[in-house]
Amino acid sequence: MTVLRAEGLTVAMGDVPVLRDIGLSLEAGQVLGLVGESGAGKSMLGRAIARMLPAGFGVVGGALAFDGADLLAMPAARHRALLGREIAFVPQEPLTALNPVLTIGRQFGEHLKRLGIPRARDAAIAAFEAVHLRDPAGLLGRYPHQLSGGMCQRVLIAMAFAGRPKLVVADEPTTALDVTIEANIVRLMAELQRGHGTAVLFITHNLRLAARICDDIAVLYSGAVVERGRGRDVLAQPAHPYTRCLQLADPPLTGPPRALYALPETMPGLRDAMRMKGCRFAPRCPVAGDECTRGSPPMGPRAACFRTELTGGIAAPSLQTQQHGVGMDNVLEAIGLRKRFATGGLFRRGGTLAVRGADFIVRDGEFVAVVGESGSGKSTLGRLVVGLETASGGRIVLDGRDVTRGGEAARRHRVATVRMVFQDPQSALNPRRRVIDLVTQTLEARGVGRSARRERGRALLAEMGLPPDAAGRMPHQLSGGQKQRVNIARALCSLPRLLVADEIVSGLDVSVQAQLLLLLARLRREHRFALLFISHDLAVVRHLCDRVLVMRSGEIVEQGAVAEVFANPRHEYTRELLAAARGH
Amino acid sequence: MLLILARRALTAVPILFVVSLMLFVALRVLPVDPAAMSMPPSATLAEIDAMRSQMGLDRPLLEQYGIWLNQAAHGDFGQSLHLRRPVLRLVADTLPATIELAVAAMLVASALGVGGGLALFALRGRRAELAAESATTVLMSVPEFLWALLFIFVFGVLLQALPFTGRLDASLPRPDITGFLLLDAVLVGRVDVLWSALAHLVLPAAALGLAFAPPIVRVLRSSLLDVYHDDYIRQARLRGLSEGRILCRHALKNAALPMLTLMGVQFGFLFGGSLLVEVIYSYPGLGNLMVDAVRNADLPIIQMVGLTYCVLVLAINTLVDGLYVVLNPKLRRR
Repeated sequence: MTVLRAEGLTVAMGDVPVLRDIGLSLEAGQVLGLVGESGAGKSMLGRAIARMLPAGFGVVGGALAFDGADLLAMPAARHRALLGREIAFVPQEPLTALNPVLTIGRQFGEHLKRLGIPRARDAAIAAFEAVHLRDPAGLLGRYPHQLSGGMCQRVLIAMAFAGRPKLVVADEPTTALDVTIEANIVRLMAELQRGHGTAVLFITHNLRLAARICDDIAVLYSGAVVERGRGRDVLAQPAHPYTRCLQLADPPLTGPPRALYALPETMPGLRDAMRMKGCRFAPRCPVAGDECTRGSPPMGPRAACFRTELTGGIAAPSLQTQQHGVGMDNVLEAIGLRKRFATGGLFRRGGTLAVRGADFIVRDGEFVAVVGESGSGKSTLGRLVVGLETASGGRIVLDGRDVTRGGEAARRHRVATVRMVFQDPQSALNPRRRVIDLVTQTLEARGVGRSARRERGRALLAEMGLPPDAAGRMPHQLSGGQKQRVNIARALCSLPRLLVADEIVSGLDVSVQAQLLLLLARLRREHRFALLFISHDLAVVRHLCDRVLVMRSGEIVEQGAVAEVFANPRHEYTRELLAAARGH
Repeated sequence: MLLILARRALTAVPILFVVSLMLFVALRVLPVDPAAMSMPPSATLAEIDAMRSQMGLDRPLLEQYGIWLNQAAHGDFGQSLHLRRPVLRLVADTLPATIELAVAAMLVASALGVGGGLALFALRGRRAELAAESATTVLMSVPEFLWALLFIFVFGVLLQALPFTGRLDASLPRPDITGFLLLDAVLVGRVDVLWSALAHLVLPAAALGLAFAPPIVRVLRSSLLDVYHDDYIRQARLRGLSEGRILCRHALKNAALPMLTLMGVQFGFLFGGSLLVEVIYSYPGLGNLMVDAVRNADLPIIQMVGLTYCVLVLAINTLVDGLYVVLNPKLRRR
């Protein structure tokens, strides 16, 4: 039985189409993955189903049928009656998707009442048990802010499945969660989905994740489906060059290490795409030919491509023998480093130990990763090293000099030796300054003259692979990947010995992530600097770093060479992390 | 909850202390001579000097404050120089009238403010929104005394529909149990007194309420607009809840928080703001008492009224903080 069917569905903002001619069908009990990078239009399908397109957007063609009924033409009241009962949604940000001033019990009860489920309290407790929430009865009286993100998402999943809907739409339901929790949430959804025979539309940017859990996958590029197939086939044997490139851009967590394939440029913007003739992927496609720019390729059995037979031949460049030349000197030495955050009022003793006695070194030119789930203290560790937090105990030795305490001289030494790259370039870059001024802020502070600064800035931007005209732009005129390049360029401006990077590639699309990883590797060859790389993504860590520190609850539970730790994890927690990342 | 209230009450003590000191010093520094004021015009300079030392006015300022503080601690806030009655008694007589007026005005302001805010929010994105918004701006720029005069003219003089002086018809007996006229009328069971008191309250309360309503309209509307951008509203829609339910059960409680803060501040201002309106309507409240005291340089009264305002504002702040904790679970301790 077909639960959801889209035929020729076209959504446009004014006269600019954001979804073009989408044809999909989802059978009862099946999971359909909708995969695409940001800007591909993947969230628009979910919004079209909910009839909640953003202002200015509208469906301009095609049909969208739920259970045989026309979703777009039915009266609003009838459509609303379907929501929550027959069609349910799991949100991207669980922490903000629950009303902060109402208890979980009130919100769940309201939903159950609407569904007409009697004995709401018992039903809610049963539903919470089904999503493996501890103390379900106690949970009813609690407020969302007292719950973790993972718990909130379980509550929302319980809510979504409470009415035994025919269709659940999950838009990036695990993006905001930790890796270990992601695995649990995905397993939970699969469990409920199989148990209830529900059809699930799973929207994600993560091809690997989609391939793991979806029966079918549709790959979206610039608003159109470019490939469609069984989940495992799409990842194992991509038919469209774009899918193949995505696969090669994603660093593997298992198997032999390989080089990444970095797609050049970015997906064309909506208006640019309208002016393009032929295949929209052609300008970035490694196997594009003349016919590709002449006309749009029709959708074949698997892919919309003229040259699908060439897809299998696309390969990442061969892996260069890794000769980074890690020196013998220690750039960073942390000895028994501790950080305690005070909690509660003036009269309360104690506090939370965010870092409890960390001992580690970073050698000259070495890339060291810090991994662990949120709250493990890995970010605090990075902030201690750059001096954004003051240590409560222990010592930090940078380039042979103790900078834990001490006055202006120690501070200067620290500033000259170590630089930080922040996670979110959007908030790390002053929105009112031009790129050229942003990347040379360090020189400005040292009183270097304007023309010298400009010269250094231009050289830096060229090195980062940014176009020359980027120098005069404002941050908001850059794409996400470009902003992160500016962010890195700023940290590298005065060639520090050590860079501390906090989750600098998370939240980016795989193709952009690959570009940045390649950039970091190249900069390392050219300038030789050490890196403390804070990340939750083990595959990225495996690709980029030499050594890894595994943190849990403020403690370094294991450290060693990446290859060694990943192949033979000694600590229970490391094994857990690896298993979660591999999806077991 | 109780703990918070208790803590607030404790912090109020030093605040009151500081305010009383400031009031005391400011009033003594003024170039008026309470001794001369309290004597008949025929008094000689020597008699005035004698009076001055009897009142303790020739001692150092801090010592005078100490004496006053000691007496105040024993419930003696001094005598009115002009009316020759204990100021505590005078304030106790007039305060209920002002509280009655302020509460009535706040009810008017809340009703108009919430209603207007919801109406303005309902008009969002429509063409009428601009007109409604301009109308609020116009209303916001009219001060309360202008409304007061306008109402006297329209309802009192032109239509002769409502009384506009005092609290009660002169022909009716004034029950005096609590000082709150509406309450007293109910207690003695006199419908005619209740009706007359209500009629006297309508115009001043409406004038004050109308002046305080527009900011509430604005704040409620803008916080509703903010709240509607939040994820949980979208998620509630995705669960198929009706728009009415989303507004009443999900949005309003969140949007009420900033509005509550504003109303707390306003309520404090209302006691000061009622002054002009009380004068215009010859309303026998704290405001009129204050105006007379200022005119007669009746320092003990001014001081007592100032302190009363201070206590009122502190009490209101505590109340609002308490309400905030009730409405916002994030402020509660687990």
